[in-house]
Amino acid sequence: MNQVASSVSFESRVTPVPRALVLKLREIVGEKHVITNPDRLLVYESDGLSAYRVVPRAVVLPASTDEVARVVQVLHTAGIEVVPRGAGTGLSGGALATEHGVVVGTARMNQILEIDAENRLARLQPGVINARLTEATKSFGLYYAPDPSSQSTCTLGGNVAENSGGPHCLKYGVTTRYVTGLTVVLAGGRVVRLGGPAGEPYAALDLVGLFVGSEGCFGIATEIEVRLLPITEGVRTLLGIFDTMEAAGRAVTAIMASGLMPAAMEIVDQATIRAVEASVFAAGYPVDAGAALVVEFDGTEAGLDADADKAETCCFAEGAREVQRATDAAHREALWRGRKKAFGAMGRIAPDLLVQDATVPRTKLPEVLVRIAEIGEQYALEIANVFHAGDGNLHPNILFDRNDPDQLERVERASKEIMQLCVDVGGTITGEHGVGVDKRDYMPLVHNETELEMLRSAKRIFDPDGLFNPGKVIPGPVVGR
Amino acid sequence: MSVGSAMPLADVVSAEALVEPGEGGSRIVLGREPDAVVAPGSIEEVVALLAWAESNSVGVIPVGTGSHLGDRRPPGPYVALSTERLNGVEIYEPADLTLTARSGTRMGDLARVAEEHRQWLPFDPMDVPNRTLGGLASAGVTGPLWAGYGHLRNHVLGMTVVCGDGRVLRLGGRVVKNVAGFDLIKPMVGSRGRLAVITSLTVRLFPLPAVDRVLLLEGAEASSLLPAARAVATAPILPASVVLSVSGDAGSRLLVRLHGARETVDADQRTLESHAGGVFAVAEGSQATEWLTATRDAGADAAIQLSLRALPAQLGALLHVARGPMAGMNQELMADVIEGSVRLAWSGATTDAALVIEELRSGAESLGGTVTVDCCPVGMDPVARSSRLSADAREIGEGVKRIFDPGGVLL
Repeated sequence: MNQVASSVSFESRVTPVPRALVLKLREIVGEKHVITNPDRLLVYESDGLSAYRVVPRAVVLPASTDEVARVVQVLHTAGIEVVPRGAGTGLSGGALATEHGVVVGTARMNQILEIDAENRLARLQPGVINARLTEATKSFGLYYAPDPSSQSTCTLGGNVAENSGGPHCLKYGVTTRYVTGLTVVLAGGRVVRLGGPAGEPYAALDLVGLFVGSEGCFGIATEIEVRLLPITEGVRTLLGIFDTMEAAGRAVTAIMASGLMPAAMEIVDQATIRAVEASVFAAGYPVDAGAALVVEFDGTEAGLDADADKAETCCFAEGAREVQRATDAAHREALWRGRKKAFGAMGRIAPDLLVQDATVPRTKLPEVLVRIAEIGEQYALEIANVFHAGDGNLHPNILFDRNDPDQLERVERASKEIMQLCVDVGGTITGEHGVGVDKRDYMPLVHNETELEMLRSAKRIFDPDGLFNPGKVIPGPVVGR
Repeated sequence: MSVGSAMPLADVVSAEALVEPGEGGSRIVLGREPDAVVAPGSIEEVVALLAWAESNSVGVIPVGTGSHLGDRRPPGPYVALSTERLNGVEIYEPADLTLTARSGTRMGDLARVAEEHRQWLPFDPMDVPNRTLGGLASAGVTGPLWAGYGHLRNHVLGMTVVCGDGRVLRLGGRVVKNVAGFDLIKPMVGSRGRLAVITSLTVRLFPLPAVDRVLLLEGAEASSLLPAARAVATAPILPASVVLSVSGDAGSRLLVRLHGARETVDADQRTLESHAGGVFAVAEGSQATEWLTATRDAGADAAIQLSLRALPAQLGALLHVARGPMAGMNQELMADVIEGSVRLAWSGATTDAALVIEELRSGAESLGGTVTVDCCPVGMDPVARSSRLSADAREIGEGVKRIFDPGGVLL
């Protein structure tokens, strides 16, 4: 978090879109789908990272590829920046409006266009909510694997933009593994089809893979084709309670070293456990525990008990105080609750929460967590850790009050130190939340200027005038060379 | 500038890097012999060679073992850049399940290193032990194991590459989740050396499965095994791989690979037998390896190798297309049942091959599919014979090429 924008009044910030342009946009998408009313625009002033707030000049909500193309054409012809937005659940400020830009939202593009069960594929519009896709494919015995924590509200278009992960990507991989084809609207409203279920022929570069994770900086995906998986027959969920975070970390390493492939391995630390147990989400985790480890296996029913037994043995061997095993769906939900409701629970102990995101080699987790605790002490900040332990993806959550300027400054300094620490041990500045505006100025920690210039060049291929989501991902100007 | 022996490469790279064409591992079949073969031993030598090549208008083609280069027919002088001396494991953290190796490292060597820690790289394209990690990434091939483990491109976590103009880029990193910037690794994988020279890669490893079982069904014709193949592909489990092979006159085989704990594999086998309506022959250990290797490497030395791809449910129609012009020809066919692709390999005269490929292409495209020519005889352009890219994909692809290799050094 580098520059926390303060919320100011609409009138002092926003230059309204010229009336003639609004009329043109309304001709394309309909009267009520161009939002210019200051009160309604406030809804779009931030994404899930509310520390940054910019009220857009207008919001346009098209319903089809054709409408998106025409809207982008009108805006780009007028030299107006376009900020794509899904459900606005992102945590890096990727959907934050720009001062001169118009937000193009995909909320009305929420149709599942085709479920091809025979080929295990689905084609859908970008505004489809992640969990809805899995719900819709359930009757075919199929599901969509990437499961970000926000899956009940986040959209597939947003998942494509951010290359989203989720707890179960330890076994199944992230969004990019499942996207087989895209229809995208590029600069000036050009509609381009990338990939496809039958792949690309010789000499084709993986442009789908390049587009996924481009954070709205290349264009807008308006149709998405994804691969589906057969629903697994069974699941086993364990909750290991440890006195120390180090012991929980060792258990994770031991489980992976034993040859097991859990679907998910998640850890919450003591600060998080206490926050959860003091909230309405109380899950029954012991508040004196140093850490709680959720381990989940899925697959063919027959082998799951053996896997769970093996993982349980690893946990006890590394000093687990107790290991619970879910006996039914309700018990499973209860074991997961302490992890899944962690962010919600923190809301009651501090007015603001900075959800950080970084990845380190898994074996570095214990030392990094100790160091993060020291950083918290150094800056007199409470930091609660929730993380995808299986793949070393940390979420140190810094609790603060944004109305306290001194605290805000300490948060920024602590945040930067945590990022530097993760990079120093061979990690990176973001594992799944994306760079957005939040991590943009940290990019030089992981990329030298040659590499940053390469990223700028990549953007220019798709967006030569820099009119898609400017100011995100890459520090420094993209155009003007 | 004169080329060949007159190329002043002794001033550019060390003496050890200069290789006589045709020597050692530099089996290079490009349609025209390179004017020089250079095997740099360091990233600095790669940089020096590319900088020299750019300033002297000499083309460069990176070469692993040369198994998938095709016939590129460079129009002007060119150097084959062999990665055989860019060899060896740089970092291996078994507990992190990640490994960094130089691009010329053979997959067979990597497999031996990983196996010591009961880990592996689940990639099984044709002749995989003899190919290099960089070559595999450059060709963008995974093999049928993608069904259970995902494509190679999803397991390349990081790369060090040298662009055509000598810029060194470190893409990605050593961690399994990383979204810090646009994913430039994706277009690199499968770019066939046209964007940049890969000097090292970091890949994700997997634990070796406790049981690696192969289920086998045999039949006289591929068509007789197709119902069982599709039943397996649509069963409610995900096998590690499912292939259907036809080898010359030896008949057809359906091979299903199951991985996991013994009781899991036993249960999965029962599920598949119930769905396929038959009982499989079963093998583990050396017998299973023998079956798999024979299928995997069939046709590895064939002059013509190509793959057809459509949707998985169209596999029957695609097999029909694949078999049509091949009647009476001694070809090897392997279908990836989960992907809906068919790999064909055979040897024959160039003129006949051109006609056959044309018929295959037309048939596959009529199904909405594609044909990719991987290897073909000298004198035949694999790009021209393959399905065409859309104009948009070509234009954007050219843009990507320009940012990696602005001088067009990499051919």
